[in-house]
Amino acid sequence: MIVAVLSTFAVAALAPLLEKRLGRRAAPLLALVPAGLFVSLARHVPEVSAGGARTDALGWIAELGVSLSFRLDGLSLLMALVVTGVGAVVLLYAGSYMEGHPRRGNLLGYLLAFLAAMLGLVLSDNLVGLFVFWEATSLLSYVLIGFEREKAEVRASALQALLVTGGGGLALLAGFVLLGQAGGSLEIGALAANAEAVKASPLYLPALLLVLLGAFTKSAQVPFHFWLPDAMAAPAPVSTFLHSATMVKAGVFLLARLHPTLGGTPEWTGIVTTVGAATMLTGALLAVGQRDLKRLLAYSTVSALGSLVMLVGVGTPAALAAAMVLLLAHALYKGALFLVAGIVDHETGTRDVASLGGLFRALPVTAVAAAAAAFSMAGLPPLLGFVSKELLYDAALRASPAPLLLVPVAVGSNMLLVAVALSVGWGPFTGRAGETPKAPHEAPAAMWAGPLLLGLGSLAAGLFSGAISPFVSSAAAAALGAPHALTLELWHGFNLVLAKSLATLVVGVALFAARGRIRSLAGSLAPLAAFGPGRLYRAGLAGLVRLAKGTAALLSSGSLRQDLRIVLAATVALAAPLLLTRAVLGAPDALRSVRPLEAVLALLVVAGAVATLLAGSRLAAVVALGVTGFGVALLFLVFGAPDLAMTQFAVETLSVLLFVAVLRRLPRLQSRSAPRARVVDALLAGAVGAVMTGLVLAVHAEPLRSSLAPFFRESSLALAKGRNVVNVILVDFRGLDTLGEITVLGVAALGVWSLVRLRIASRGAGANGGRS
Amino acid sequence: MALPFPLSDLLVILPELILSELALGILLWAAVVKRERERALAWASLASLAIAAALLPVAASFAGELPRSAFGGMIALDGFSLFFKALTLLAAAVTILFSLRFVGTSPYPGGEYYALLLLTTVGMMFMASGTHLVSIYVALELMALSQYVLAGYFKQETKSVEAAAKYFVLGAFSSGVLLYGLSLVYGATGTLSLGGVSAALEAAPRSTLLMVGVVLVACGMLFKVASAPFHVWAPDVYEGAPTPVSAFFAVGPKLAAYAIFARIFFDGFGPRSDDWAPVLAASAALTMVVGNVGALMQTNVKRLLGYSSIGHAGYALLGLLAYRAGGAAGQPEAFGLWAILFYLTAYLLMTFGAFGLVVLLEAKGYATESVDDFNGLWKRNPLAAGAMVVFLLSLAGIPPTAGFVGKYLLFSAALKAGWPALVVLGVLMSAVSLFYYFRIVRAMYLVDGEGEVRWREEPAVAVAVGLCFAGTLAFGVLPQPLIALAKSCLLP
Repeated sequence: MIVAVLSTFAVAALAPLLEKRLGRRAAPLLALVPAGLFVSLARHVPEVSAGGARTDALGWIAELGVSLSFRLDGLSLLMALVVTGVGAVVLLYAGSYMEGHPRRGNLLGYLLAFLAAMLGLVLSDNLVGLFVFWEATSLLSYVLIGFEREKAEVRASALQALLVTGGGGLALLAGFVLLGQAGGSLEIGALAANAEAVKASPLYLPALLLVLLGAFTKSAQVPFHFWLPDAMAAPAPVSTFLHSATMVKAGVFLLARLHPTLGGTPEWTGIVTTVGAATMLTGALLAVGQRDLKRLLAYSTVSALGSLVMLVGVGTPAALAAAMVLLLAHALYKGALFLVAGIVDHETGTRDVASLGGLFRALPVTAVAAAAAAFSMAGLPPLLGFVSKELLYDAALRASPAPLLLVPVAVGSNMLLVAVALSVGWGPFTGRAGETPKAPHEAPAAMWAGPLLLGLGSLAAGLFSGAISPFVSSAAAAALGAPHALTLELWHGFNLVLAKSLATLVVGVALFAARGRIRSLAGSLAPLAAFGPGRLYRAGLAGLVRLAKGTAALLSSGSLRQDLRIVLAATVALAAPLLLTRAVLGAPDALRSVRPLEAVLALLVVAGAVATLLAGSRLAAVVALGVTGFGVALLFLVFGAPDLAMTQFAVETLSVLLFVAVLRRLPRLQSRSAPRARVVDALLAGAVGAVMTGLVLAVHAEPLRSSLAPFFRESSLALAKGRNVVNVILVDFRGLDTLGEITVLGVAALGVWSLVRLRIASRGAGANGGRS
Repeated sequence: MALPFPLSDLLVILPELILSELALGILLWAAVVKRERERALAWASLASLAIAAALLPVAASFAGELPRSAFGGMIALDGFSLFFKALTLLAAAVTILFSLRFVGTSPYPGGEYYALLLLTTVGMMFMASGTHLVSIYVALELMALSQYVLAGYFKQETKSVEAAAKYFVLGAFSSGVLLYGLSLVYGATGTLSLGGVSAALEAAPRSTLLMVGVVLVACGMLFKVASAPFHVWAPDVYEGAPTPVSAFFAVGPKLAAYAIFARIFFDGFGPRSDDWAPVLAASAALTMVVGNVGALMQTNVKRLLGYSSIGHAGYALLGLLAYRAGGAAGQPEAFGLWAILFYLTAYLLMTFGAFGLVVLLEAKGYATESVDDFNGLWKRNPLAAGAMVVFLLSLAGIPPTAGFVGKYLLFSAALKAGWPALVVLGVLMSAVSLFYYFRIVRAMYLVDGEGEVRWREEPAVAVAVGLCFAGTLAFGVLPQPLIALAKSCLLP
């Protein structure tokens, strides 16, 4: 299985080259890859139907139990067959649909790569591996939806699809990590075996919510459904593949896959069933008002996805079995209808159902395929759609929590969907011929073969539904986590379910007859659509941009002053809370022992600092700063450290002189900054000063544990025969350091001297352009 | 006169000693070499790095059993330091490959440039080995001082000089804060060796002074790894400095800073992790938000990568927070630590890769480097565009790249250590990062027309980028060997 997935990726990479070499023959050839996979997968059907499963694994990050392990059971085989089967049809179709397009080879390659990713997704038995393929499908869907990249709205809808599904995917990863934490493993099989521990864990609810977020975004559930209709900007084969048969089913697949681990709790049933039912109804309601063929189909897909999610949410054996049948039936009929919509668009140049009609004459084969698919969607016997609808009603009736709520929702939605099905698969082909931009001709065989095959598949699966029962049962069993046997039948006798089916059909046909009026009604309600979740998405995007601009301006203005403010404020904010208590408690003690002379000197220091700030010229500021320095030196003197004081005097004098020498060359002080900025600076400076004061007080209160001071005090006379400890340290204990410092000073002086000479020389060179 | 340390201690720092000598030799050579023969200096610098790298195992074998402490506990040689030394040597080598044409065509002499780069590397290597607050600080300053000069190397370019000035002012301030913190720690514990500090912390009661010291040290360290709110210098410096230097700054010094960050906080302040962990957690959260949200609006690629590297600093902080995760009582397994080692290696590869393509994009020293310059790159150079996609995917943390594995390891470690909120924030911010990384992809593949800046083929850069590309993919597909190596290189 691993080999199959990886080699499909490799073939995908070669597809553009192959197309360049072979032209139109490339697509049928490439379609053989999924077709071959389909056949080789189909060989496992008897074994899997009997309850068997195959596994395959490759280690990746062994430390954390992450591996690329695959599992082929009923559920994954069902999905894999849908993926490869529809994939083969779509590739064949795409080669013809994109005839003459300069980047046809690329499209074929992307489609094949997507197929491989999707196959990896459904076969994965490890959560991280599954996530990897999940994100790969999101990324590839971006490329595929945005294939006609010249149009801005195409790019926008591609980005929207990526952000919604890719973002949901990251939530999914977070959920998976929590799940791994709760269940002690990342293998899906092991997690299912440990389901009780997972459900009891405190991480269960956050993990569940994150996983659901991922699944709901991918499967276009309310309120994330808006990306799917917008994604109809994609070419028809892409919509068929991604938006009916495979990618949007990934969320449903994941829910079914994790049902044994996460399902069955009140939280699961409540959330999943509600969201699914809401989506089913919303999709159906929004669908009937559409005029565009593909948007009709997109909204009806949203509705079908809602039914699937609802069924998985209900989680009874009957519901899961119904979900599996609906999944298969939907892939067959919706895939066919999307392909038909593509043909109609291709041949007539329009997708507006109001202007389409009487196409049966021009497109007879397509019309047959369309009718078969539409009848299956409408739930007419003996097609598979009928079987699945019966099962859906049956499951809704028997749902334990709220059949009274689910049944009307299911029946109502399906009534609407009948009208949609007829609008797509019946309306355009019957009645009077409409005005179309192009005169229609029957499409090439490569294009109608696909829908016909899928339409016939609906019929065959419906007629021989008994034969596929064991296989569908095994898929339901995998989702259930327990063996389950189900027999599909076309005829259940006269009962409540059949009555509902009949009512659905009758009301649906009536709605179809009144489609013109419904559409004009929907048209008048169209402005309301602006208030949907799509608006929220756009507002969120704009908000993010604003936030980014704001933070960028605040946190990196490019101004050194602002940068320093931030750094200072952060340091103060971190240190101040720690100091607050200590400084307040320590202050009175420290103040009691202050002598008058010290107070005067301290005031001198403060006065110097204030004068520096108020000085009108640089020179005055430097002198005032010098006062501060000398004041500190005097304090040293008072505290009995004459050597330190002398050093301070020397340093202070030197720095004042240097300052004066440098500042002499600078321009006069210019305008001051705005008063508000100065207030901010003053507050910040005050805060820094307060923190430093607090620190000094804290240091004062703390017993210092230095081993160096006593050592030097004791050893300076004994070892170095000197009484002045500072001098002894400088010339004896740290003699080598002093030598080093002198050397550095010497080298620096040499450097200064050579710079000065260079300066003089370049002045001599003058206007000749010498570098200085 | 008897030396205060055994002579064999010199062998422990043999690579650093030889590299310092060679750097000085190159500086002297630069004084006499002709301008057009300067490329020889670059090759000599590369050779010096190779020699230093070759001497690493020699030093390790002479040192005997690791970890080996030398110079009275100032320096230690262990797997951890060897790992970081190898990474910093690699970072310097890649930077030289990036700089060949860049320095060659600039109006500034190259000798000092290469010598400064080598001296920065010496500083970083000593940082990786420092086990004493003073030796760590001195090594840090050796690195930082060389960095200030490198940032302003294009001394006639306003942007470069501005970057250097800002970097110097803010860097000097943060060094001051760091030093102040170190002195407070010394005052409270009476020792500067990390082992001693740790022992004193274990024994001593909580004291305000010590906590302020630890917090100030944390402030200084957060500045060096460009974490919010001490990150303010990073975008400006990355934008203003010459591109190879920006690439170097985004990787090399950060790696070394993480090395000492980990050592000071685990080996030194480990017993007081309850005190400093909230500070780090707050900074990690803020850093992830600021870096990723700040990158959204950038139009300059270097600035964008600067912000993205801030975001990555936030992810790496998660590893620091989780350093003891996963071990049984008394038996620290240090999950977070080896996750960081893996992540930083991945970060080196992908960041250098992305910056390398920006280097190729520059027509001369100061092009606009706007995202639009990548327009239509797919048509002009499909290989480069493909490589860039892989680097960006890796930066965003999407499989099958090393960036994904690294991020996955970090997040798992943080989760295990009990920081679920931070992990959720990290995942959310990764989603945000997709926006801006994707803007470059969009420019390369989806925007018609070509960028105005000429694309330069440069074999040396291509080799370096190819290396990064291979590493990014290889460690993404087969992470096991690197994980095993990282695990064997943990702090004792």
